[in-house]
Amino acid sequence: MKRRLGLLAAALAVGATVCVTALAGSQVNGVTKTKFVIGGTFPLSGPAAYYAPIPVGMKVYFTYINTRRGADHKRGVSGRQIVWKYYDDGYNPANTAQQTRKLVEEDKVFATFGALGTEPQQAVVDYMNARKVPQLLVSTGATEFGARYRERPETIGWQPDYFAEGRIYGKYAATNWPNKKIAVLYQNDDYGKNYLEGLRNGLGAKESNIVTTQGFGATDASVASQVVAARQSGAEVVALFGTPSPTVKAYATMKALRYKPEQVILNSVSANDYVMNLALANSDASTLDGSISTAYLMNSNDPKYANKAFVKLYKAQMAKWAPNADPKNTFYYYGFAKAYDVVKLLAATGKNPTRAKLLKAARHMNWTNPGTLPGIKVTTSATDPFPISQVKIIKYDGNAKIWNEVGSLINGRGGT
Amino acid sequence: MTRRFLGGLAATIVAAAVILVLPLFLSDTHEYRFAFVATFFIAALGLQILTGYAGLISLGQSGFMLIGAYTTTILSVDHGWNDLATIPLAGLLAGIAGFLFGFPALRLRGAYLALATFAIPIALIALAKKYSDFTGGGGGKNLTRVLTGHEAYVTTWPIAGVMFVLAWLLLLGKLGRSFRTIRESEIAAVSSGVNLTVTKTLAFGISAFFAGVAGSLYAIVIGFVNPDTFSINLSILILIGVVVGGLGSLAGVVFGALFIEYVPLYAPDILNWAEKPFGSPLDPQRAGAGAAVYGFSLLLVLFVAPYGIAGLVSKANKSLSRRAYTPNRT
Repeated sequence: MKRRLGLLAAALAVGATVCVTALAGSQVNGVTKTKFVIGGTFPLSGPAAYYAPIPVGMKVYFTYINTRRGADHKRGVSGRQIVWKYYDDGYNPANTAQQTRKLVEEDKVFATFGALGTEPQQAVVDYMNARKVPQLLVSTGATEFGARYRERPETIGWQPDYFAEGRIYGKYAATNWPNKKIAVLYQNDDYGKNYLEGLRNGLGAKESNIVTTQGFGATDASVASQVVAARQSGAEVVALFGTPSPTVKAYATMKALRYKPEQVILNSVSANDYVMNLALANSDASTLDGSISTAYLMNSNDPKYANKAFVKLYKAQMAKWAPNADPKNTFYYYGFAKAYDVVKLLAATGKNPTRAKLLKAARHMNWTNPGTLPGIKVTTSATDPFPISQVKIIKYDGNAKIWNEVGSLINGRGGT
Repeated sequence: MTRRFLGGLAATIVAAAVILVLPLFLSDTHEYRFAFVATFFIAALGLQILTGYAGLISLGQSGFMLIGAYTTTILSVDHGWNDLATIPLAGLLAGIAGFLFGFPALRLRGAYLALATFAIPIALIALAKKYSDFTGGGGGKNLTRVLTGHEAYVTTWPIAGVMFVLAWLLLLGKLGRSFRTIRESEIAAVSSGVNLTVTKTLAFGISAFFAGVAGSLYAIVIGFVNPDTFSINLSILILIGVVVGGLGSLAGVVFGALFIEYVPLYAPDILNWAEKPFGSPLDPQRAGAGAAVYGFSLLLVLFVAPYGIAGLVSKANKSLSRRAYTPNRT
């Protein structure tokens, strides 16, 4: 009798557990019937705080999606509101590690989107892949985030990577200035080195045109010695591969030394209007005039694009949800445009989202992001881990304070 | 003296008990954060010995942490060592570097010494970036393991406990007295027979050893190293920890470590809480808001407790015992 009771109890316990599990369903972190919880870490303070507008731009787009009725007549994505959590890591990998764990383990985000910084994201790439949490559309062009996709299936970038961009500059220099000497001022970390390697690759046979390479730190107080070395090398072309702060310093030093190279190549991250205006303030129009760079997003400040639907949407939503923010700071636009792809990915997971579906969608992207330059396609596949690879060469007009597009779209990763 | 020792012992036992039991109440994420408190604690202990006891101001602690961190990284990633086994060697190498730095530092005092130590992290970061084949360069290097918060906690705190006891033992005898004498007056120290050369270089060596161990643990817990992490800002942070805890108090260091880990992290939440009665005029997520709150909290602490938290505690102790004991007025 006792034995039968024992067996009955055990059977009931097992049965109850099975029933409860079935009813609970497979709980997906960050997804409920009404919400998508997503997040990212960004430098809201510290040496890289000029990127702080990016998560705000993303937030504005998400708020727009949450409040408007979509094509399915529902607000949000697949009827779910986007809950966007972002934390400050001060561009310090130690903080990124802690804040990312908070997002994954406490906030239980579905995935991180757009998290920023080469070294900060490098610090958490093993953690995210080990815990199988998608680390998507990271805000860094470091090639390794795309290139090592086989070891790191959860991780994917977004913007054209630095190697590809450097390659484009190399090809442009080899074609347009085949006999001009080149001096490269590069940030002495993976960021700058990525660009330098790409430049060498793109120059090909003309690699010997590089007469000097000068490294500097992102937070160095001065880049004067490097600029002087560039001038003394007699190079006609100077390539500037640094984040905004040293870029502004380099231009300021060039003006102070009355040094105007024939051509200046500027990496795209530091080529946005906010940085150029800072550079203008510390230097002058003639020093900046003629600098070339690349672009893949429409410039929301360019009158040429003022009537594009996406630019109009950007300005309207920024005015509505972030009225105290300056929409002319294109880092907001960067976030806003990236958020478009975030929403596309979330929508692609369908009615019952899972992380596996999200990852699959991320590896099979094939659409047009209306925030990018016309003609650019956002594509990924099993063999192509770089969502955006096409860019246009742009040239700076120091007097009109505007970048002008030159030529047609180029694919930095080969192909067209 | 005996009463003070017993009081200290009791406090240490209570603290150890708390640290032992804490994981039961903390989530994995919080255990992970608390592991950072342990690494800051060890680095700050080293700095306490150098600055609080021997009176030698140093802004170089992060540089010695870099040596420890990279020793662990290179040995475990490139040479297959078990990462925990590298910790003593990491401390030793950093300690030797610190000891060697002590020699040229003998001729410098006060602010000039501080400036010289300023060069340590700058030079070491530049070296790490230059020899990128060896160190992984500016982009950094990932370590072999991803630790859970709990693993990070149980790896770091026992070592922190050992280092605390080690610090206490080192300072107990003649060496500790020599340090304190140097701090008060070098001339008096020399005339009491203290060998300045040996004592000062030892002070640098010992504190760098602590920094090396802390740096090694820092690398293991984060799972990634890059040179820029060990900038002068980290040195200043450790110094803040020592000052907030109370210069010259070993026990106070734990409060300093708690401060430098949690206050910057919770600064936006602190702002939220402080703003409630005023209807939140300032946006906590705004760029720089957290840093402003951190700076303000630091000023507040130093205003309320100029001798650090340990200073507050000893003041409270003194006023309590004054009431308990009324001397005979004869």
